[in-house]
Amino acid sequence: MEQFRPLSYDALQVGETFVSDTKLVTPEDVEAYAYAVDDHHPWFSEDSPFGGPIAHPTLLANQALHLRHSKYIVRAGLHAKMEFEFLEPIRPGVRARSRGTVIDKYERRGKPYMVTEYVTEAEDGTVLVRGRFTQMLFRD
Amino acid sequence: MSTLAADTAAPGLALPPLVKEISQRKIDVYSGVKPYSIHTDEAWARKKGFRAPLAQAMMSTAYVSELMTRFVGAGFVKGGTMSMVFIKPVYVGDRLTVHGVVKERRAEGNATTRVVVEVWCENQDGVKTAVGTASGLLAGGAA
Repeated sequence: MEQFRPLSYDALQVGETFVSDTKLVTPEDVEAYAYAVDDHHPWFSEDSPFGGPIAHPTLLANQALHLRHSKYIVRAGLHAKMEFEFLEPIRPGVRARSRGTVIDKYERRGKPYMVTEYVTEAEDGTVLVRGRFTQMLFRD
Repeated sequence: MSTLAADTAAPGLALPPLVKEISQRKIDVYSGVKPYSIHTDEAWARKKGFRAPLAQAMMSTAYVSELMTRFVGAGFVKGGTMSMVFIKPVYVGDRLTVHGVVKERRAEGNATTRVVVEVWCENQDGVKTAVGTASGLLAGGAA
């Protein structure tokens, strides 16, 4: 049983790790994402050079971005930086999960930030995407 | 599979821009409607100091992904990179234009070329909201 607590700069530890739940990527997920970002490229609904439809490369980015929610109650935060390496196409039907490690935390101009390095992988261990993101924490 | 434009693009080439209208409904679908969310709870967004709900910054990475997939093709989906800094909020009702200019081509291995694109999003007032670079792989090693 996970014990959740409010996220704060002091509570957060460099080296802390997070693991998301496993998500089954469905055609409906791809369709909803296409609507949300208004990107209806035919590769996402028909055929693609990879054989069959694929998902938007950034489809699972929120799974990674929300990693800290697996341990903390996060009322608000701002996303400051994002880096991706897209290693394999995301296909509908894949079961994917993200794992992340807090690699840094710092204060700049009085505002607290955390930096997380992550990978998103398929059930068979294939790495689909990896990257790093920086988030600003709100003080209450 | 890459586009003809990407195969021949020289540094300085401007990519066809994308225009994105930011509606609350699209934000809701992207972020999921929740209380205590600066994206989908207007009262909470105001309490946190914003004049309106914000689009998730990650939505701008999706727009850049679209720009690059249309330009580079499969070599962005597999082998692409993106590095973005989010410098200004994007609010519901904003209209973003997503730009890209080819910055560099370089050989990567014996058989591929990486094309690097400077990318940015700007709102209807011409204010840049996100800046960065993105890249993708093209078949052929001669940069």
